[in-house]
Amino acid sequence: MVRHRSRRLSPRFIAASAVALIFLLGVSGPVLAAPDPLQDALDAELTRTWDLLQAQPEAPFWMQLAVLDRWTYTVQATHGAAGTWSADHSRIGDVDIRVGSLQLDNTHKLRDPGWFSEEDRARVDVPIEDDEGVIRIGLWRAIDDAYRSAVRQLIKVRADDVVKVEAEDDSPDFSLAPVVVDLRDTQPLELDAAAWTERVRTVSRVFLEYPQVFDSNVSFRALDETNHLVSSDGTRLRTGRQHLRVAVSASTTADDGMELQVVDYVDAASTDKLPDLSELEDMARGVAERVTQLRQAPTVEPYVGPAILRGRAAAVFFHEVLGHRVEGHRQKDEEEGQTFTDKVGKAVLPDFLSVDDDPTLATWGDRDLNGTYAYDDEGVAAQRVSIVDGGIMRGFLMSRSPIAGFDHSNGHGRRQPGSAPTARQGNLVVSASRSVSYDALRKQLIDQVRAQGRPFGFIFDDVSGGFTFTGRVTPNAFNVEPVTVWKVFPDGRPDQLVRGVDLIGTPLTTFQRIVAASDQVGVFNGMCGAESGWVPVAAVAPDLLVSEIEVQRKEKAHDRPPLLPPPLPDDVPMREGT
Amino acid sequence: MRIHPVAAVLSLTLSLTLVGALPAQAATESPLLAAIQTEVDRAMGLRLPDSPPPYLVSVEVLDGQVATAQADFGALSSSNDGPYRTARVDVRVGNYTVDNGNFEGNFGADSGTRMRLLPDEDVELALRRELWLALDHAYKGATQQLSEKLAARQGVTREFDPDLYPITPLVTPPVDGPDVAVKPLEALVKTLSGRLAGLGLEEGSAIARDWQGVRVLVSSEGDRAYIPTGFTVVRVEAVARAKDGARIHDTRSWVVDRPDRLPAVDEMLADVDDLAAWVDQLRTAPVEDDYLGPVLFEGPASVELFRQLLAPELSGTPPPETPPDGFDDGQAVPTARVGRRLLPEGWTVVDDPALAHRQGRPGGYATDFEGVAAQRVEVVEDGVVRTLLMSRVPRAGFSGSTGHGRSLGRGRRVAIPDAVTVTPARPRSLGRLQHDGLALARHTVQPYVLVVRRLEPPAVSDDFRVAFSGDAPLPGLTRPTQVWRLYPDGHTQPVRGLEFVGVRVLRDIVRAARIGPAVGVMDASPGPQRFSIGSVSGLPASWATPAVLVSELELHGSGGHEPRVLPAPDAGFPPG
Repeated sequence: MVRHRSRRLSPRFIAASAVALIFLLGVSGPVLAAPDPLQDALDAELTRTWDLLQAQPEAPFWMQLAVLDRWTYTVQATHGAAGTWSADHSRIGDVDIRVGSLQLDNTHKLRDPGWFSEEDRARVDVPIEDDEGVIRIGLWRAIDDAYRSAVRQLIKVRADDVVKVEAEDDSPDFSLAPVVVDLRDTQPLELDAAAWTERVRTVSRVFLEYPQVFDSNVSFRALDETNHLVSSDGTRLRTGRQHLRVAVSASTTADDGMELQVVDYVDAASTDKLPDLSELEDMARGVAERVTQLRQAPTVEPYVGPAILRGRAAAVFFHEVLGHRVEGHRQKDEEEGQTFTDKVGKAVLPDFLSVDDDPTLATWGDRDLNGTYAYDDEGVAAQRVSIVDGGIMRGFLMSRSPIAGFDHSNGHGRRQPGSAPTARQGNLVVSASRSVSYDALRKQLIDQVRAQGRPFGFIFDDVSGGFTFTGRVTPNAFNVEPVTVWKVFPDGRPDQLVRGVDLIGTPLTTFQRIVAASDQVGVFNGMCGAESGWVPVAAVAPDLLVSEIEVQRKEKAHDRPPLLPPPLPDDVPMREGT
Repeated sequence: MRIHPVAAVLSLTLSLTLVGALPAQAATESPLLAAIQTEVDRAMGLRLPDSPPPYLVSVEVLDGQVATAQADFGALSSSNDGPYRTARVDVRVGNYTVDNGNFEGNFGADSGTRMRLLPDEDVELALRRELWLALDHAYKGATQQLSEKLAARQGVTREFDPDLYPITPLVTPPVDGPDVAVKPLEALVKTLSGRLAGLGLEEGSAIARDWQGVRVLVSSEGDRAYIPTGFTVVRVEAVARAKDGARIHDTRSWVVDRPDRLPAVDEMLADVDDLAAWVDQLRTAPVEDDYLGPVLFEGPASVELFRQLLAPELSGTPPPETPPDGFDDGQAVPTARVGRRLLPEGWTVVDDPALAHRQGRPGGYATDFEGVAAQRVEVVEDGVVRTLLMSRVPRAGFSGSTGHGRSLGRGRRVAIPDAVTVTPARPRSLGRLQHDGLALARHTVQPYVLVVRRLEPPAVSDDFRVAFSGDAPLPGLTRPTQVWRLYPDGHTQPVRGLEFVGVRVLRDIVRAARIGPAVGVMDASPGPQRFSIGSVSGLPASWATPAVLVSELELHGSGGHEPRVLPAPDAGFPPG
């Protein structure tokens, strides 16, 4: 059989295109002349090794070096005792090399591979001191390892391409992108270690007022990152990111053995956005009271009925159910379920809902968003992407790996340092063109309960996270893990807090059952794990009414609660009702 | 065998009397000690319906500071320091004869041992709450573990050894661990690794860790002890590449009990120079692809030889029972056996942690992790195993612990060799060994004898065949990193790429030199854990061994297959 590839591009064409892009787009961003041995080392070693590798029989057609320079500051406290303030400095490097052609390169996914068929990714040792020579030696080793690994992998890829049937999507493996030079000055994060230590210590004492809170933690964590990136097409980036999180958590064990944990946290890009001591103490009390209430709450049987997903729960729901399924690389991976691959231009959601992913959004209201970045991990400027517009599927989140109908990156190639980038979410924003007040939405829920003849409906108030299976081997299902779930009765009884359920379902069916949205929006900030590791993300969504959802029993432990009473302070009054 | 509470109190009183002046006994009690004692006492009251209560509760808090620094070619690559405070709690249900211990259930099964991080600050209530949770989990785990053990023994008619030796409780005055500083470590690793810059090496790194602290041991048997503990370890690694693509590497390491016992920096630098020179020589050295003949193990290689092959033969702790399955009955046979000939006639092997402690040798201690005083044990006499090192895990024919009970993390306290001296019967000079080696080589039609000076330490070995050898003696030795041919005319030729095949060495020793100086090593219990501790972790120990000539060994070798594509950059180092 003759295999036909209409879009195979020659290296000469690539070079010409890259030059054209530089010419057309020019150089963006301020270029600073401040000494930066790390950036200089990246530049020097990229230039040197690129030139040398061009003489190899299998010369690379693209190459990128990146180093994440990170300071991590942490302190935590429990039961009124603080840990030690920790300041940790690390530099994590990545080398990405492509050999072959834009059409078929070493990153092409092998079909039906044997175990361990993927080449190991080269480890990059980068000193934390600015010794340019030593940094270059580490980069050289990693580049050499990565290049030889890429050549070996390409041999397998070419054989796989010949042996297997023609791919359903024969899009190229790589796309060109505008060249960008943006070397930003970064300012070190200034933190008051003593003040934060005292703050977490003080807040952790709050939990001692709650005898049913068996374990608890208060933590502060700050990241001060500078991302350096250079690539063979001329892109040079130095960008900063500062991220802070203060979190409180409390856990207990119910009499039936179920372990319950409630967590609350605030993510911010600067210290002035973090709660003060009083607000933190209120957060801790809220968490302690909620976990105490949950301990007494009844469990729920598996059930099908109408439900409201409050904003944060709806946001996680969309992140899991829609967001992961519109990541570009999944659309041409034949092991994936490809739920939305052929849905472009077709209705996938109710006509009042739209979904975008916009990493350029830094805030939503007064909330900093976790999934904000200026450039992705392939050196492409972040872009707002319309995924669903008025219920109609419009696009996908794209890295530099094209798919049928989408031949360029839209700045969503992301990774945890040490992994290869793939298309990932940034800030997923669900918006409703038609909405009602929350009270009206709640009334609609009760109407649905009555109309369906159900004994009750659910309100999913908050979630801890979730996961989804997007492949073909496993059921194409999702699981959202609620923390706070209320039963809502049609006869006017007060809502009842319940526990022990997970929200489950399959994507297309569930989307069809979204019937209304409120005018209140929730924000979920978190970390998302997938093939390219853990990346910070956010999701924003309004409260949603779903005519029918399914819940299943949550996995639980079986140990009895502690047999002895907890050690309690003599001088702290216990909270009433606890 | 069960100890009555009154007996425990009497033992405690006696112990206090014997120890005599205990300044801290009347001093203000530390919040940590108070918290542990309170929760140990409370945990003795743990009860589950229709289940045995705890008969022994112990808490060990490893309370110290750790600093680690690493550098490459003189540039710092990581550095961190801080306090380290972790609790290990052990709850035993049943009695000294039959309890939940010494049983490894199926994968994921619970046990009576728990680890938990403790707050750094001395807030008694906070410490108590962490211990309360850990002890609660441990008691439930112990109850389940005992039930699984009894179920596994159903229908088994053989006699079982008891599960724990009773002890005299240990009471000692409070002590503080010394402070740890990261800055001197940073300076040291930069200096040592910087020495490797400019020599054309691919990698030149140094890592140092200083861990100093106290084991605070409190038990329902009456232990209330502070056991000082600590180690300082420095390791330097150099990596080069031969023309055929073979990765050549070698290391130098120093293990001492505290930083001021490290050799002088100049002395360490001399060793680093020796390392660099050796690795450089190997770049162009021939591959020794097939050798069958005598082998001479010198200096550090002889320490590794004995450590790797002898340690499992010295530890008397029986393996844990396991649930019977389709492959075996769950009753593993111990490796170490009294009466087994290990070495030639006249040889002795002695382990004496207390002497090592007095002499300041790495790993030396007065009392082991179970609070038992360390004893001198002459394990091998006249080449034959006469007795064994013991922890509190009993074994038929033995009467108690010899003070060798140690482990890492949650591991069962087993007897681990600590301060071993291997003494040959009739030591000869090294020159005599070389002469005899060449004579043996002639008999085997070899034009030279192989001399091995260094073996790869297990902790940094990536040889899975050796790593997965289980608790049994190793199927081979780790790869030699420093080997040369010694020819009859006295000239030498470094060789590379070797590994041992089917080592059965100890009884084939035909000559030995005098004992070399004690060498500090980082170790773990005999078995796979020795291969997973990492380059600067584990339990410190020391071995003093002689150079030995082995009559016949088989070694195979191979070169590399993937040369570098790119030349190294000019890093701007001054010429080395």
